[in-house]
Amino acid sequence: MLAYIVRRLFQLIIVLVGVTIITFIIMFAVPGNPARLLAGKDATPAKIALISHNLGLDRPLYVQYYKFVVRLLHGDLGQSYAVRQPVMQMIKQNVGNTAQLAVAAVLIEMLGIPLGVYSALRQYSFWDTALTTSALVIWGIPVFVLGVFLEQFFWVTLPHWVNSWFGTMWTGLPQTPGRNVWLIFPGSWTSVGALVLPAFTLGILEVAYISYMQRAAMLEVIRSDYIRTARAKGLSERKVVLKHGLKNAIIPVMTIAGIDLGALMGGAIVTETVFNRPGLGLMIYNAIGARDLPVVSGGVLFATLVYVVANLIVDIAYAYVDPRIRLGE
Amino acid sequence: MARSKGDKIVADEATASDSQARASGEKALGLWGDTWRRLRRNKLAVVGMCIISVFLVVGMATEIANIAGVNLAPYDPNQVDYKLSPTGLGSPPSLTHPFGTDYIGRDIFSRCLVATRISLIVGVIAVAIAVTMGLALGPVSGFYGGAIDAAIMRLADVFFAYPYILFVLLIMTILGPGFVNVFLAIGILSWATYARLVRGQILSIKTMEYVEAARAQGASDLRIIFRHVLPNSMAPIYVSMAMGVGGAIVTEATLSYLGIGIQPPNASWGKMIADYVTYFQAGRWWMLTFPSILLVVTVFGFISFGNGLRDATDPKLKE
Amino acid sequence: MAERLLEVTNLSTQFFTYAGVVKAVNGVSYTLDRDETLGIVGESGSGKTVAALSLMRLVPDPPGKVVDGTMVLKGRDLRALNDEEMRAVRGNDIAMIFQDPMTSLNPVFKIGDQIAEAIRLHQGKSKREAWKMAAELLARVGIPDAQSRVKQFPHEFSGGMRQRAMIAMAISCNPDILIADEPTTALDVTIQAQIIDVVREMQAQFHSGVILITHDLGVVAEIADKVMVMYGGRTVEYGPVDGVYYNAQHPYTWGLLGSLPRLDLAEKTRLTPIKGQPPNLLLLPAGCPFSGRCGYERPECRDNWPELEIVGTEHGVHCQIPQAERLELRAQLPRFKAQVA
Repeated sequence: MLAYIVRRLFQLIIVLVGVTIITFIIMFAVPGNPARLLAGKDATPAKIALISHNLGLDRPLYVQYYKFVVRLLHGDLGQSYAVRQPVMQMIKQNVGNTAQLAVAAVLIEMLGIPLGVYSALRQYSFWDTALTTSALVIWGIPVFVLGVFLEQFFWVTLPHWVNSWFGTMWTGLPQTPGRNVWLIFPGSWTSVGALVLPAFTLGILEVAYISYMQRAAMLEVIRSDYIRTARAKGLSERKVVLKHGLKNAIIPVMTIAGIDLGALMGGAIVTETVFNRPGLGLMIYNAIGARDLPVVSGGVLFATLVYVVANLIVDIAYAYVDPRIRLGE
Repeated sequence: MARSKGDKIVADEATASDSQARASGEKALGLWGDTWRRLRRNKLAVVGMCIISVFLVVGMATEIANIAGVNLAPYDPNQVDYKLSPTGLGSPPSLTHPFGTDYIGRDIFSRCLVATRISLIVGVIAVAIAVTMGLALGPVSGFYGGAIDAAIMRLADVFFAYPYILFVLLIMTILGPGFVNVFLAIGILSWATYARLVRGQILSIKTMEYVEAARAQGASDLRIIFRHVLPNSMAPIYVSMAMGVGGAIVTEATLSYLGIGIQPPNASWGKMIADYVTYFQAGRWWMLTFPSILLVVTVFGFISFGNGLRDATDPKLKE
Repeated sequence: MAERLLEVTNLSTQFFTYAGVVKAVNGVSYTLDRDETLGIVGESGSGKTVAALSLMRLVPDPPGKVVDGTMVLKGRDLRALNDEEMRAVRGNDIAMIFQDPMTSLNPVFKIGDQIAEAIRLHQGKSKREAWKMAAELLARVGIPDAQSRVKQFPHEFSGGMRQRAMIAMAISCNPDILIADEPTTALDVTIQAQIIDVVREMQAQFHSGVILITHDLGVVAEIADKVMVMYGGRTVEYGPVDGVYYNAQHPYTWGLLGSLPRLDLAEKTRLTPIKGQPPNLLLLPAGCPFSGRCGYERPECRDNWPELEIVGTEHGVHCQIPQAERLELRAQLPRFKAQVA
């Protein structure tokens, strides 16, 4: 197990080096000189050259890369062009909100596992067909489309109905997220309420995907020889499915869920934009609009780091569940 | 015929269907004949195929018309006409404008039609770029192994390390918005999926007897790759391509929604959704609803077809 | 007279597939006594595995279903049991060893856990006791260092060891009947004999009745007391091993024996393969499924399934051709020529 973790850590380092190189190339080695962007539209060539020099842009690329990595290791992702603030500081301000959203979405996503198992065990039944069909339909809905419609429904249509039927004044779910950065779920009900809709939007799409995958994995497992062996022992169907089936069927889904974290993070960005909810996503979105490259690349780099580490954790958990992984491939 | 040792019943039934083909005098069903038969039985996949067909026909017709300089749509999709939007809130669907008009009087139906073409081109070209890159690098990696393999696969790892949409956003920020950049970015960032797939397939097929046999007969590496290995490893790639087109359409829509994809005044489903959200909230439902439905239905088509194809080509699921 | 454990009469199992009804097992009857070994022989698709799974009531349903017949285990018809009663039979009264030990063990549980599971379930032993028994069983089936091996996972076992573990699991509750479904097919030739020996030893120790499913007539000759030859879901010939081997009556049995190498004959005889392909189970003729491949076929063969004809002590055959003629035809075959001479 330890050997496995060491090996995975080594791979992680290689990947991270690759990520920094590619991000570096994208940030510094492309046309659209950052010095010119920083200097503003009508700067003189001399001023651009000065800024270039100050940023170290006139040095050889490998020196620049070395400095870039050294700065990264010190947690320095550069300065925002637009806000004139260290990117790291901006990330720190926003990461809490995005983490809330992501954790809530992952919790919702877990619903996909029982749904998929149920579907597989009742293959071709009415509920299986209904679940599979809706999973496929929902799976294909882009986050922002679902977000827009849910927002309309819960913030406009539903309050309207409630108010006209019950004569109450209700303006819908709260919209202001908590500002409490490091607690995942802050105490204020308003901020939890504000989480409901974005998390549901993001989560329900993942539920569809996970339940579909879980169904496929479970179907494959219940047709396997070792399930027949378990039945031949005289175990109850419940035990066959829950003990012998589920543990095997959950393994591939765990990997999928790990990989899917990337989609989830991307989805969180879009969700935050749709709901205008402060977080890393909205930060990156605004930076794109302002062509604020350090914020975009810093944000992406940070999200990539989180994603890679999360995947490592999933992989180790995977190895813990599946003894085959621990020893060699 | 490769037969799994494990499931006797499956093996028995496979024998049954083999000999059925022989007994009834028809030519034994090839891999694709069998796939097609199984695909047809999957209702969702059939629905997906119908959706894709309509999408392809409409998209290609509009594209051909566009090249020929003809406007297939009933109206010019970018024609502003304030008479059709007297209050600045568009006008609801009518006989002359089946999907209604938008806040500056443009015909939603015509805009949706043009957007279909955009989605088709982005989806197909992006996937074509990715597949070409994958088919160039994957076989090299899988067939030669060693340092080349390690280099290509580590590069693929790095590409996979980024959350996909964020990577696309980053590239788009550099490239700048625009139609061509959208499919370039999506295409270039998706190569790793196909390269990995092809490589995995090749690794598993490389050691099979028929490849050994070809090698023993003195066939060249290229010949072995293209004649013996690739045709036998394409099924999962076709599945990925079907899903990939759907994914590329979503990505394009997302980019356009975020304002860094297709630029105004050109229509794209994602861009239309972004533009019309405020009007939707003001109760002018038609502007947003039609492009949303088209987008969701099209993507559903590709996903359900792709899933159906995967089930139909998966030897483990043979019944 | 040994104790009669099992009496299967007219067992029929069918698969209802989209392409039509597959009569996988069609009116099969046999008996099994304590300490006795029955070999079921036939090629892939002959229905031998389904016949065994039917006995365990483990035919996947849908699409499969036992549609006719009785399976009486020590006076109880297994078909009449409810699910719970049947579960108490499985693993306890009847246990089964499967073909492929690589896939038949659950990869995520320790070997000991998988063996102990049945013991705890059927004998109500504590976890500790069951694990202790599991280790003893492993040692008994010839796994060295069983105490530590019991704590390992299946992927740490070789194919032969996994099959031994499967046998340990099967005998853990001292079953009356042990079904071995091609237990050696997936293994190396050198391991095959060992596994067969283990099955034999276990039978000697536990006094089970063994049903050995195989396409290897050599193995059957070695350990079975009687043989059932199946083809296209039907029993074509059934009888004691000596009877079936030296007085084979059905052309299909001849074919099987003709394709078996023999070292005991001075004169070299050529191996003769059976011509043609296995039958399409969807389009089986109403009569003899071997018609069409038989070579001695008569017009009535396709449409009439002959009654069982007794040709020796507990030795029966289903064949249209009159016995006298059959013996003449058989004498022409190289293999039996040698035998006559």
